[in-house]
Amino acid sequence: MIERMAKVEILGLKDVAIDAIDVIHDLGTLHIEDLSERVGQMENKRVTRMEMDPKFADHEATLNNLRSKVGDMIRELSPDVDELSQEDIRREYKALWSDNVETMIARMEKMLSEVERDTRDTVDRKADLMVELSRLEKYAPIMSKVQPLAERVARMQDMASIALIIERKYKAILNYLNEEISKLTDGECEIVASDVDEESTAALIVFNRRYLKQVHDFLAVQDVNQVRLPSDLAKKPIDEAVAEVRARIAQIPAELDEIDSKLSQVTEKYSVKLVASRNAIHDRLEAMDAVPNFAQTDQVFIISGWLPESEVPAMEGALTEKFGSKVVMTVTDIREEHDAEEAPVTLRNIPFVRYFEIIYMLNKYPRYGTVDPTVVFAIFFPIFFGLMVGDMGYGLIIMILGWIVHRKMADKPLANMAGFVMTVGGAFAIFFGALYLEFFGNALMKWLGLIEETASGAEEVKYLIGSSESIIRYPMDRLEGFTLFLGICLIIGFIHMGIGLVIGIVNGIREKNTKHALEKGGLLVCLTGFMLVLGKFGFEWWPSALIIVGALMFIGGIVMGGIGAGMGGVVESVVGVGNIFSYARLIAIGLASVIMANVANDLAGEQFKSGIVGVVIGVLVLVLLHALNIVIGMFSPSIHALRLHLVESFGKFFEPAKYRYEPFRKTGGEE
Amino acid sequence: MEEAVKIGMIAISAALAIGLSAIATAMAQSRIGAAMAGAIAERPELVGSAIILVAIPETMVILGFVVAFIITGLKEG
Repeated sequence: MIERMAKVEILGLKDVAIDAIDVIHDLGTLHIEDLSERVGQMENKRVTRMEMDPKFADHEATLNNLRSKVGDMIRELSPDVDELSQEDIRREYKALWSDNVETMIARMEKMLSEVERDTRDTVDRKADLMVELSRLEKYAPIMSKVQPLAERVARMQDMASIALIIERKYKAILNYLNEEISKLTDGECEIVASDVDEESTAALIVFNRRYLKQVHDFLAVQDVNQVRLPSDLAKKPIDEAVAEVRARIAQIPAELDEIDSKLSQVTEKYSVKLVASRNAIHDRLEAMDAVPNFAQTDQVFIISGWLPESEVPAMEGALTEKFGSKVVMTVTDIREEHDAEEAPVTLRNIPFVRYFEIIYMLNKYPRYGTVDPTVVFAIFFPIFFGLMVGDMGYGLIIMILGWIVHRKMADKPLANMAGFVMTVGGAFAIFFGALYLEFFGNALMKWLGLIEETASGAEEVKYLIGSSESIIRYPMDRLEGFTLFLGICLIIGFIHMGIGLVIGIVNGIREKNTKHALEKGGLLVCLTGFMLVLGKFGFEWWPSALIIVGALMFIGGIVMGGIGAGMGGVVESVVGVGNIFSYARLIAIGLASVIMANVANDLAGEQFKSGIVGVVIGVLVLVLLHALNIVIGMFSPSIHALRLHLVESFGKFFEPAKYRYEPFRKTGGEE
Repeated sequence: MEEAVKIGMIAISAALAIGLSAIATAMAQSRIGAAMAGAIAERPELVGSAIILVAIPETMVILGFVVAFIITGLKEG
């Protein structure tokens, strides 16, 4: 159900405005209404948007600066925030927080300077080492490739060499370089190339030393990377340089480990403080950001917003206790002010139903004052899911997977809710599976000998109760009882759509919108009439009187729709009735699933007849096809059950809320 | 011979019922899917609506499947 909200206006003397905002922020129940638009439209210019004291603007800049510093430090130290104790963070948050912004800033600056002192050298050294390692790792393979040739060049006094690194896809440029450098050196040059890795090729240009300047000048204007060793290595013979590079590459990880161990000590010491600072800065800045939403006159500040009715006394008490008569809170009657449409919405449902609020991750909340249909979703979604999957084996697997996801992802709302919904859906799939007597398709029925092969090769179900002609029978085989199930699905659809239309009528009455109620009522009457006519196709004994009543109701419903919403209402009444056939998917999707399961069983059964290899192949076929069917069985029925709610049922009455209730509250160290 | 023709006609009818509706669904879904992919690139929060919108034309193939199933049942009649 939708939580009842109260609209409040808080007025007070301006000298206590900041303190009053802090009290409201501490309580964390007020959804702030932005007054700037209303203030702009006022003719009385004595009321203006509330502006922050210039002194606070300076604090805002300092806090933003601190936020970026704290963020950088958290990134550098990378603490595992999930592992930190929330209790410790809350304690540190309280230690850092002060109503006086200057005191709070001073505490944070002191803490940050301590962190900087302990980390600056270590972090810089780590960064240097990582750059060095990355550079040397780039040199090492190149140098290894050119080393044999470079050693020979080194023995030839009059020859010089330059190493290049080229992207492999541009390797063809080496031919061009060879031609051009040959021209420069009168043919006294050679280029040797070797691939370093999948992306780069190393090349060594060997040429007569007297052309050194010309070659350097030429390469300087070409778009090629010359390999320049660090200055300390460049002067050494290549073999020594290679050995040194390898030694450094081996040495650096140990140095990095040592630094990491120092940093982890610092991280342990400061991570809680840093996270608490981040949260405190966030809260302080949020309070400052809220100020322009308020209004003021020369003497008074005005704060307007919404809070749950149950929270009104607490807010009133806190403001009176701290400010006495300096701050006054008034509750406005939203029915008189016609403000209900603007009310932010929050839901209050029992725990079981709360998990089904997952539907509002795809949709907006229902508008304030209308009916919250979460209960309808919580009842019908598992029924639809169970009807479609309808297999004890599949249901069991889906239930177990859903429960695991629900338990393991307790901190991820979407996954946690989806896991619970799947668990309930799985349970209903087991229930319907028991009705259909399906366990991984027809495996159980075959094992129990309830499926017999007829002379023509077709399969026939041996019913334990009733026969294929009776309505009450067991097992309720979906393949043989297709027409019966089609009828059941249409009846379920009628109930589901009917509930949606009744909610639409209730919404219309609540909003005193008779035409809206009449339009929805018209469609409901049309639908009922249509079902009365349809009954004749299902049952031969269906009385003719009911068909006549149904036809009259159908016409009457169209008229009601027309009165309620004009031509649109007439069209909606006729077309809306057609939506009932959409519920045929409840049996059709289930049927597709059971046929696929049976195909898996039949294919595997054939394989089992041909020895050990056949058994192995059969098991593989069984596992793969059933696994695929389960995956499809989790997604497809979920999407179609959702669609039946959002389009066929909710589509008949649902009015979305403009805003969700988002109270102005502190993180309290739990950002 | 007459029975074989009857079964053949039933099979063709059922195939047409599901085949044509599947083609129609595929055409509709391809257009909706492409449009929704573009919309999600701009506004990722539309992913929920996209799933529902893509599922809407499936009614055609589902009804096609139901009709095909009813047609195949005629051979026993």
